Amino acid sequence: MTADLRRAALEKGEVLVVERVGGGILELVVRLPHLAATAMPGTFAQLRCGNGTTPLLRRPFSVAWTHDDTCGFVFEAVGAGTRLLSELQPGDAVDSLGPLGHGFTLVEHGPVVCVSGGLGCAPFPILINELRRRGVEDIVVLNGARTAARLYPAERFGRPAVSVVAEATDDGTRGHRGSVAELLGPALRSHPAAIYACGPNPMLGAVMRALTASGAELPPVIEASLEAPMGCGFGTCLGCALPMLDDDGGSVWRLCCTDGPVMSMRGVDWTALSELPGADVA
Amino acid sequence: MTEQPAVGVDLGRGLVLPNPVGLASGTAGYGFELAQLIDLDRLGALYTKGTTAAPREGNPPPRVAETGGGMLNSIGLQNPGVDVVAAEYAPRWRDWAIRVIVNVAGGSLDEYVHCTQVLEDVAEVAGIELNISCPNISGGLDFGRDPAEAGRLVGAVRAVTERCIIVKLSPNVTDIAGVARAVEDAGADAVSAVNTYIGKKIHRPTGRSVLPLGTGGLSGPAIQPLALAAVAAVCDAVHVPVIGVGGILDAASAQDFLSVGARAVQVGTATFVNPETALQVLDGLGV
Repeated sequence: MTADLRRAALEKGEVLVVERVGGGILELVVRLPHLAATAMPGTFAQLRCGNGTTPLLRRPFSVAWTHDDTCGFVFEAVGAGTRLLSELQPGDAVDSLGPLGHGFTLVEHGPVVCVSGGLGCAPFPILINELRRRGVEDIVVLNGARTAARLYPAERFGRPAVSVVAEATDDGTRGHRGSVAELLGPALRSHPAAIYACGPNPMLGAVMRALTASGAELPPVIEASLEAPMGCGFGTCLGCALPMLDDDGGSVWRLCCTDGPVMSMRGVDWTALSELPGADVA
Repeated sequence: MTEQPAVGVDLGRGLVLPNPVGLASGTAGYGFELAQLIDLDRLGALYTKGTTAAPREGNPPPRVAETGGGMLNSIGLQNPGVDVVAAEYAPRWRDWAIRVIVNVAGGSLDEYVHCTQVLEDVAEVAGIELNISCPNISGGLDFGRDPAEAGRLVGAVRAVTERCIIVKLSPNVTDIAGVARAVEDAGADAVSAVNTYIGKKIHRPTGRSVLPLGTGGLSGPAIQPLALAAVAAVCDAVHVPVIGVGGILDAASAQDFLSVGARAVQVGTATFVNPETALQVLDGLGV
């Protein structure tokens, strides 16, 4: 099946600000009218980092939020590409290709549970905004990170702020000490209509195990935004393969960029995924 | 009115590309994604993803890794198989002006012959590019390394097709000109050079290869000078048209290939960076 790329477009946007929002988390705000008008929750943009040939490839970033003709992207300066983005100044240009990918299935009523791990916070502000626009108000955010300094600020998940943000850190510096997956129990008792998750693959695997182990009746929409090392972002290089389950329970490769990045968590081959290195290795 | 100079590139057996700029195999799929992003019909040719007799699932990830000025890939020839390409994909090319040249790959001589036969009566297929040089599966590369084997393969495919045969050469050889001469003698109508260079990247925290198979194919601007030297050697060695490919990023780097004697070019990895690169090359060349 060919990906639907009709909304995707190249666009050069003006940087408005690169803001440090806490710890090492940065938010890049760019005037990108096309992307702002067309991005749906869970879709991403391929951003060029610098104008040279190293780094060569664009980097995929979830569209974190849109406001009028601007878009926000959340990242940490961890590699050559993100370091260049972190050095952008207001007035600089950013080259975007997007929106790309397959976003979240939007439900029409709550409650909704969003499970975020680290920079997995990225797609949730736009998702929460869109859900609220559709009248969904009962939204629970479970926010986890390795340490307090790497937690996306609670008030940024929604404007106005989402009422319930339960936090977890691996080192116990804020909120529950442990995995964000361990916060799922109380949230499931509200019989959510949808569970959305985004974070590193091991954290998502832990979320799926927790959901399965809970014994709770789970909603039809249980989706995760996944990651993989990516070449093109639009389905031609076939580089970003992820192990998914076919109808017979066998493992098949699907592309993170066009089949995802949002996948049904029931369709992921979590065992195979857990054996893969993270997207940062490449 | 002044007559415009002819810009078509005659590759032989009736295959005339409207202009010299094409999209390299493995960087454009079967065209359906890029057709939504750019005006494909302005380009001369689309060389499809390597296509095999049976569907192939491809290699385990990670399949791509970035390097200085380039990228390594180890896709493993993921493709739906030649029957799907012939029956389901080709009809979708019917109204396209761009010439679609199917890149055929295989692990055995019989597989190349079979694929070519399946495509022989498919009207939308403009030509065949024989991938004798994919570094990411065993089998195919052996043909590309040995002039005699390469010639034997091309001879066998020549016997079953009237279509233009372009042979894509591997740079991972001692004497690329010798392989080029062998495939020309065996009946190739044109050659394209080069496929990717075998490369390796180490994940430094672990000291292990990033790519699970250990190595992958290096592409991108990092290889342009290497590819240019190989293409120059091939152009000196053969009389058939040579298509230059390897690290083209813009019109200037494409012109380099034309300057050493290539008749056409393919834009590859740069399409990932900017889907419009090939169109920019076309405009910049002024052809």
